[in-house]
Parts: sequence; structure tokens; C-alpha cells
Amino acid sequence: MFRRRINQVVAYLSLSLVLLSFSSSQAQAADYVPVNGAGSSWSANAIDQWRRNVVQYGMRVNYASTGSSDGRNQFKSGTVDFASSEIPYGLKDGGVVDTLPSRAFAYLPLVAGGTALMYNLKIGGKRFTNLRLDGETLTKIFTGVITFWDDAAIAKANPGIALPKRKIVPVVRSDGSGSTAQFTSWMAEEYPKIWDEYCKAAGRSTPCGVTSNYPVIAGKGYVSQPNSQGVSGYVSQNANEGTITYVEYSYALKTGFPVVKLLNDAGYYVLPTASNVAVALLQAKIDTRPGNTYLTQILSGVYNSKDSRAYPLSSYSYLIVPTAVSGSFTQAKGATLGDFAYYYLCEGQQQAEVLGYSPLPINLVKAGLEQVKKIPGVNAKNKDVSKCNNPTFSPDGSNLLAKTAPMPPEQDREGYTGPITDPNPGDSGSGGTVDPGNNGIVDPGNSSNGGGFIDNGGVIDSNIVGPAYCDNDTGICQPVSAAAVTPPSGFGGLAGVVQTIALIILFFVLILIVPFLQLMQRKRR
Amino acid sequence: MANIIIGMRLGLSPRNSKQSSTSNESQSQALAISSDSPRLIKHVYDAQDQIFRTVMRAAGSSVLVIMAMVGIFLALRASEALGKVGLGFFTIQAWEPDSGNFGIAAVIAGTVIIAVIAVSIAVPFSLGTALYISEYAPRRIKKFLITLVDLMAAIPSVVFGLWGFFYLQNEITPVAKWISQNFGWIPFLSVQGSDPNDPLTSNTIFTSSSLIAGIVVALMITPIVTSVMREVFSQAPIGEREAALGLGSTHWGMVRNVVLTFGKGGIIGATMLGLGRALGETIAVYMIISPVFVIQPRILENGANSVSSLIALRYGEATQMGMSALMAAGLALFILTLIVNFVASSIVARSRSGASS
Repeated sequence: MFRRRINQVVAYLSLSLVLLSFSSSQAQAADYVPVNGAGSSWSANAIDQWRRNVVQYGMRVNYASTGSSDGRNQFKSGTVDFASSEIPYGLKDGGVVDTLPSRAFAYLPLVAGGTALMYNLKIGGKRFTNLRLDGETLTKIFTGVITFWDDAAIAKANPGIALPKRKIVPVVRSDGSGSTAQFTSWMAEEYPKIWDEYCKAAGRSTPCGVTSNYPVIAGKGYVSQPNSQGVSGYVSQNANEGTITYVEYSYALKTGFPVVKLLNDAGYYVLPTASNVAVALLQAKIDTRPGNTYLTQILSGVYNSKDSRAYPLSSYSYLIVPTAVSGSFTQAKGATLGDFAYYYLCEGQQQAEVLGYSPLPINLVKAGLEQVKKIPGVNAKNKDVSKCNNPTFSPDGSNLLAKTAPMPPEQDREGYTGPITDPNPGDSGSGGTVDPGNNGIVDPGNSSNGGGFIDNGGVIDSNIVGPAYCDNDTGICQPVSAAAVTPPSGFGGLAGVVQTIALIILFFVLILIVPFLQLMQRKRR
Repeated sequence: MANIIIGMRLGLSPRNSKQSSTSNESQSQALAISSDSPRLIKHVYDAQDQIFRTVMRAAGSSVLVIMAMVGIFLALRASEALGKVGLGFFTIQAWEPDSGNFGIAAVIAGTVIIAVIAVSIAVPFSLGTALYISEYAPRRIKKFLITLVDLMAAIPSVVFGLWGFFYLQNEITPVAKWISQNFGWIPFLSVQGSDPNDPLTSNTIFTSSSLIAGIVVALMITPIVTSVMREVFSQAPIGEREAALGLGSTHWGMVRNVVLTFGKGGIIGATMLGLGRALGETIAVYMIISPVFVIQPRILENGANSVSSLIALRYGEATQMGMSALMAAGLALFILTLIVNFVASSIVARSRSGASS
């Protein structure tokens, strides 16, 4: 009886293995040793795309998006070969300094992006997609000073919009996270008084400064969720109206929810698009002193950029790589890691924009390519950066993306009083044609469509359904291919339903197959 | 003996088997002392027996040693944190280890609340399922049903968590809303910050609550509770069953007076085992709850907590003190679970001896 059961279990397992092997791709490592990494979920969408891309070269790069803090700690204790993080080692968090790892390491710039404020708000039963906020209001929202959507400060930034008297539910990260660190570092730098007051009320010692753990006061209506997936998933649930969260722009694109237009120092409300992030990052001070802080960023210039296109909450994340063989990190692993780094610094950056990030500027790529040579066992190459096709590069070394980034439309200027008539507020005239009969990809303020995040200018292609991204320079629109394009309201069309039913049937067949076999066997006896 | 078999089948901690072997030993000792003649009984084992005894003894004691080492490890790592806050560790609700202001009052309370909800949902279900399978189901489909219930235990907890987060949460919020509006006068069913007269109240106040986490955990402990109960029911003595039926009892009367009476201990034991598992459930709870660090007895309201999900959330970025504090929380959970499981297994064991007499 016992043996029979074991036989069945084995049969069941082998069946599922056969099924699995059909779906999995043939990934064979030619001469690359797999490397393992962990860390930032902010950058995870980009890393996941890149590591899928390098499978064709036989590279296996495993990555667990467990949060920046976890990545740094795992790298410190030597359990992973590389880590990714939004903040470097050595910052003071909650009065405790994050110590440097004992193994030798270096920072590589990973990918740039904007921390977006994704929200779920309906006005008159339709999803509102054109919310504009200034920094102080945003800070007050996340510190519990402003608690209702119809607050005067919000109404002032959104003239003519009938905001509902609905409670604001800030959704924050419950785990240690680099997104939290980036967001709190911005609040601590720009609005230290409001932030410190909140921190004090939450039982932290002040000055609070940057922290990876968002302090939450119970009973204030905050919701904490783990991981970027968790917060974006929570906000994107249809019933969770009135929620707002901070998350990488990529996740908002993926779920098809709108993000806040944030007021910059030049007085314009801007979105965290690739070009706006690139413009803002021109003001980032890069630490070029050799040593353990080489290539880390000082962002105060970014927060206060005077360019009218700059998105204030911009930053880039790091890959932390070992520079000496130690523990489980070998020369062979160094070779894999090095080639992966070469790939993403050069070719990989082309995809950054489509994924909701911003490509690294040329100075960071050049410095990063030099840093790669420090990895032990690397097949050092002299990559020609002009062949990378990085959209930010130009022959004279300046940041092309920042140069050609469209200016924000006049009606996104603070204090603009004119009528908002243009059905496409983002069209700043980069030479493209605008299809007036577009299928609702671009939202004139408050429409029900969830895809209203593309008003960065450029051409609207009516053939693209769902989230799309338009290149400002070429005027070409493409669907966001790496993201799952799911409309927020369930499955669209009959095909989806049929597929779901088929899946459910398959699932039941799989579940019932073991007991059924058992019955058959009993009958035969 | 039955105890051992069940223990192995369910993959319980081998503490059960260890316990029963010690009780066997003490029984034989008691026999030796209380017998009339003062003659010393000398056991003579041959080589095979001797080897078998040694191996079994080593296996049994290694489990105890490992358990003890886990406890000692936790206690050692926790000592730094415990030394810093002292007895406040049991009364403070906040969790700010780096500021030296932390305790497990809120976290343990949250853990117990979620576990109690889970048990009170899972036990009625399990009781019905177990009774049906052991007493009413036709022989042909009995095996099939048992396998189905066992399969339910094979679903990974992260799947339960995803389902709870993306599906159940949306479906349960209207129910929670209705309960709070109609039964809000019961303190633990009230919800602060929801106004039934305001159409613009957010649903979010009903999400990420102890109730939703409890329902998901209930589904996860149902299989084990059902298995234990079914096993106990099927051991209700056949003589008494037939006697009851022979005296003219209905089927239900027989079940009530024989099966349930003999299985009472087993039901309690299974409940406690389920409670023990519910206390330690991590990932599903981690994905659903929105942690708050106050004792929050309103189960329909957003905000809950549990020790294991706290550890899963915070170990990643913990500093040295933070780690020590998490170890201390882990130690508290370890001891709590140990007590619950110990009580459960002793009740189950006692009910067996009663049934066989």
C-alpha cells in the first residue's frame, strides 16, 4: 500500500516534470558559470529583462528581488555574488550606520529611473489620470498632515477638478527597501521639518533622515505591503480607491495605473519619463574620489534642478560587485558577471526606456565600463561606447536624451489659468502627427482609461492598444512589450475567457488524475 | 503504536514517537517495581536488538538535541536584545529596535488573533469533512476524498498568499463591510474609521485585516486537522458502534454517542495541532497583512501582525540589534508553539489510550 502510493507520487512528479520541460526554454551554459544576485526590487524589472536576454549567450544570471537592504546584507555575508541597491553602504539609518562589507567591492551604475507616485482615484466613477502635486503637499500626504483628497492644497494644484472627499490611503513598503530610502531621503532633504515631526510621532529619534523602513503610525489609515509588487498590486486593485504609493515608474506602467505629475523647481508639473529623469540626473553629483564611495550619487542637485523638464525624484541604482576572489566567488564567476555587466552597460541600456526606466548617461557608462575591469577573472574588453546605441549618447559626449527632451506643455506650468482644451496635453510639437481619433491612450484629464500616463509628447499611434511608449525623437510608438499588458478590469474578450476556462480545466485534470488512477487500480483488482 | 503511525504519516515532528517510547519504558519500569517478587528482571538483548536499540535511541535523542540547540541558539542571539529592554520586551508594543524601543506585546497578540481566527474557521469545516469521510462516504469514493484532502496540504503557502492577496481580499471586503455595519456593536467586529453613511469611505479599511489572513491560514491548516480527526474517528471501537446500532440507534445517534465521544480528545488535539501550525504560518500572512505595532483586536480592520511575518519582513535590513530583537521574537514564538504542540500531542495520546481500553 505504501509502495503503491510512492509509485503514484513518482508518476505524478514525472508527469509534471514532462509538462514543465515543454515550457522551459533550452538554456545550456556553454562555458559560463551561473552567478547569483539579490537586491533591489526597484531595478528588478530591468535586471530580469537583461538576464533573460543573456540566456542566448549561455549566461545564467539568477536574481532574487528581495529588496535593497536584503541584497546589501546578503552581499556583506557573502551569500550572493552580486547585489543591487538604490543606496550605497555606509548611510545612517535610524541612528545606526550600515557598515561596509569586509570583502572588497565596487559600485557599478545600474539603471536610472524615477520614483513614481502611483495612485488609484476615481472622480464620478471614472479613473482620474491627471493628478498634479507639489513636493510639500506630497510630503504632507505621506506624513498624515493632509488626509483627504479634496484638501485645499491638492485642489490648488488641480484647478477645475472636483476632487472627492475621500480619505487618502498612503501605501508604504513594509519591508526594508531602497525605494523607501530614496523617497525618505528626498523628504528629509527637502522638507525636514514635516518629516521629522512625523518620525517623532512614530517613535523614532530625530532628526530622522533617510531610512529604509517606513515608520507607520497605527490607526492613521496607512497600509504597508511587502515589495514593489505588493504596493503596486495593492493600489491597482479596483476596490482600493484613494490609495497612493511610491514605486518605480516601471511598475506603474506594468499595471496600467497613472502616476502623479510632480512639481519641479522650475514650476512645471512633470512625469517620471525617461527623458525627464535623464534631464534631472544631469544635476547629480557623482562622487569621483577613488575609494569605497566611487561612483555614488549626491542627489540634492537633482531635487532642485532648475530645468523645466526635470523630474525631482530621479536617481540611479547600483550594482555591487566583488573586486576580489573570496568565499564562493571564483574567477569563473567573475567572467560571467563581467560579461553580464558589459552587456547591460552597453546594449542593455537601449531597453531601459521601454521598461519604464531611463538609460544611463554616457559619463556613468564610461566609468562603469572601467569599473568592470576590477572584477577578478573578467575578460576585459575595451567596449566602444559609440556602438552601444544608447539613446542618451551623442558623438560629442553630451546627453542626447536630455538635449532633445521635449519641454513640458504650458498648461502644466504652475499657476496656468488658461483653458485646458488640447485633447492631448502632452503634445509639445516634436514634429509628429497627432491622431485625433486615438483610442483613449492619451487622457485629457479625467477619463476612465487606465493608460493615461503617456502625455510626454510625441506621436500617438492608434494601432497600439494598451500601455504604449512613444519615442520623442523618432516619433515612433511601440507597445510596452516587456510588460504584461492587462487592462485593470479583468479579462477582455472571449479569447481570454476561453483561455481561463481551459486553464482551470487543465488544473482540475491535473489534480484529479492521482485519485482517478487510484480508483482504476482498485477496480482492476 | 497508533500514535507513532499517525505521527509518521502526517510528518509531524518525531517528538510524538519519542514521547511514546519513553512512556513505554516507564511502563515497563513500573511493572518491574510493582510486581510481587523482588527479583530483579534482567533484560538480555541479542546483538541485533542491541544495535536496533542504540540506533533508535540515537535517532530519538538527536531530535531532542537539535531542538535544544535551536532553543539555545535563539536564546544566545536574543540575549543582547533582551538585556537591553528587559521585561519591557513583553509589554512594549512598538518595534523600533535601533531606538531601543521594542517589544512583542503587539506582535504576539496579532499572531494569536490570526491563529484563533484560522482555527475557529478550520475546525468546523474539518470536523464535518472528517465525519463525512470516516462515517458517511461510500466506500468507493472514500479513498478519493482522502487523497483530495491530502492534496490540499501540498499547495505551497505562497500560492495561498497570492490567491488571498489578489482574489480573496476583493471578494471578502464587502462581506467584512456588511458584518461591521450589522454587528459593529460587538467590540471586536467594529471598525474604526468607517462610516456607513458616507458613500466615499474607502474599502481599504477592510483590507489586509486579521480576518483575511485568518481565512487563508484556515485553508492551510484544514488538511492536517481533517487528517488527524479522521484517523481518530476511524478508531472508535467497533464493538461499541455495533452495540449502539444494535440497541436501535440511528446512524447519527451512533456517531454522536460513540464516534464523537471517543474522539473528543482527538478533536481537541487536532485543533491544538492546527493552532500550532497557524501560529507559525509565514508567507501567506506576510503577503496579506499590513503590519501595525499596536494590539489591534478589531479583526475586520486593516492592520494585523504576526511574529513569523515580522521576521520575514525585517531580517533583511536588520542591524545587529535588530537581528537580536528578531531572534528574541522568534524565541517567544518557538516557546509558544512548543507549549501548544506539547499539550496537543499529550491530549491526542491520552485519547488513544482511552479508546483502546
